[in-house]
Amino acid sequence: MIYFDSAATTLQKPASVPAAVAKAISTMTTPGRGDHPAARAAAELMLGLRTEAAAFFGVSTPENVILTTNATHGLNLAIKSLVSPGDTVVISGYEHNAVTRPLEAVGDVSVRVVNGRLFDREQMAEGFRRALADGKAAAVVCTHVSNVFGYELPIDDIAALCREKGVPLIVDASQSAGILPVDLGKWGAAFAAMPGHKGLYGPQGTGLLLCGEGVLPKPLLEGGTGSLSRQQEMPDFLPDRLEAGTHNVHGAAGLLEGLRFVRGLGSQRIQRQEASVTEVLRKGLAKRGWRVLGEGPVLSAVPPREEPETAADRLAEKGIAVRAGLHCAPLAHMTGGTIDTGTVRFSASVFNTPAEAEQALALV
Amino acid sequence: MPYYLLLSRSITHAQRMSGVLERAGITARFFRPPMGLTDRSCGYAVRVSADRLSAALEQLREGGLWPSKIFYFDGGAYSEVTI
Repeated sequence: MIYFDSAATTLQKPASVPAAVAKAISTMTTPGRGDHPAARAAAELMLGLRTEAAAFFGVSTPENVILTTNATHGLNLAIKSLVSPGDTVVISGYEHNAVTRPLEAVGDVSVRVVNGRLFDREQMAEGFRRALADGKAAAVVCTHVSNVFGYELPIDDIAALCREKGVPLIVDASQSAGILPVDLGKWGAAFAAMPGHKGLYGPQGTGLLLCGEGVLPKPLLEGGTGSLSRQQEMPDFLPDRLEAGTHNVHGAAGLLEGLRFVRGLGSQRIQRQEASVTEVLRKGLAKRGWRVLGEGPVLSAVPPREEPETAADRLAEKGIAVRAGLHCAPLAHMTGGTIDTGTVRFSASVFNTPAEAEQALALV
Repeated sequence: MPYYLLLSRSITHAQRMSGVLERAGITARFFRPPMGLTDRSCGYAVRVSADRLSAALEQLREGGLWPSKIFYFDGGAYSEVTI
């Protein structure tokens, strides 16, 4: 199989990732409970992950790196910490359901959607400026990179506007973590959420929520933390406040190895490799009459003579893994003008090669 | 042998205190302290020998990792120390 569905989950992982998962599952328990070697090994692992992630993503202290189950979990924590019924929230027109559904669930939230032409960063930044002008926004939630089109939003400009206006910013780094610089401190963001299983090459069931300064997040779950046990309210300090229950330690072990793999290669090298693959796909699909929309390692395309689902199914039968439909981001498809058809999404990882792209094109 | 216990509310904080001290050459194992020393139970503590307290506190102050409480152990009993 030639795998081009890495915007959902990277399938190929560095060998160190499954090895670390296997080792952890048979040697580690969970931190902050027992004080025996298996618990201490888990505690060491978790602190290692927090420390290395904090250094890589510009977080002030390891305590502010929270292990989540995925980016959706992190986004729910962030949104439900900052947004209350009656609030106004500003989002981009390229958000995933992981942003829009939690906002809907809060209830009675006035959502201002900043639309803008695909890949027009200037227009998008100007849209955010206008949306924040009246000072009513309680929060901004913005994806760093669209999961449909690979469109890199002008997050540095949006973050600067948020700092200027004193509006907390939540960044959805689902598609950018491991590929583009994600720097919570530089942005001055309240939160950034990311999955472990995409560009960080960790296992499914892992993610990170990076927490900024000055916000006391609200837990989604209450329960045991191994700390302040006589107190019935959740601890008021991180990470314990947001990590009730037993940790996914073997997942964290894999995620740490994935993070080390990314740091070892360097984001620029990863970007170059992925761009070399998608460039072949972009040109080849366009040559075959597909309407291609995309930048970076993710591109969406509409086939000329069949439905995207039919094309994806045909490709799957030939051993090419892609994803068709709305990609859990109907808002992005509405903004991008592809809501009626959906698209076929091709998304590369660092393990793909231009030769694989050529092989896939031959079957398209 | 008298020693000091530097209390911390979370394992992560205690691990970081221990790490800073060990890197500075101060033996500092973290572990669960007796429940009676903690306000709301289930805390963590880092143990340092009596003659290394000043050096330890200097390292922790520099690292922004101050303990929540400090206890002195001698003769089989703990007494809280105010710094």
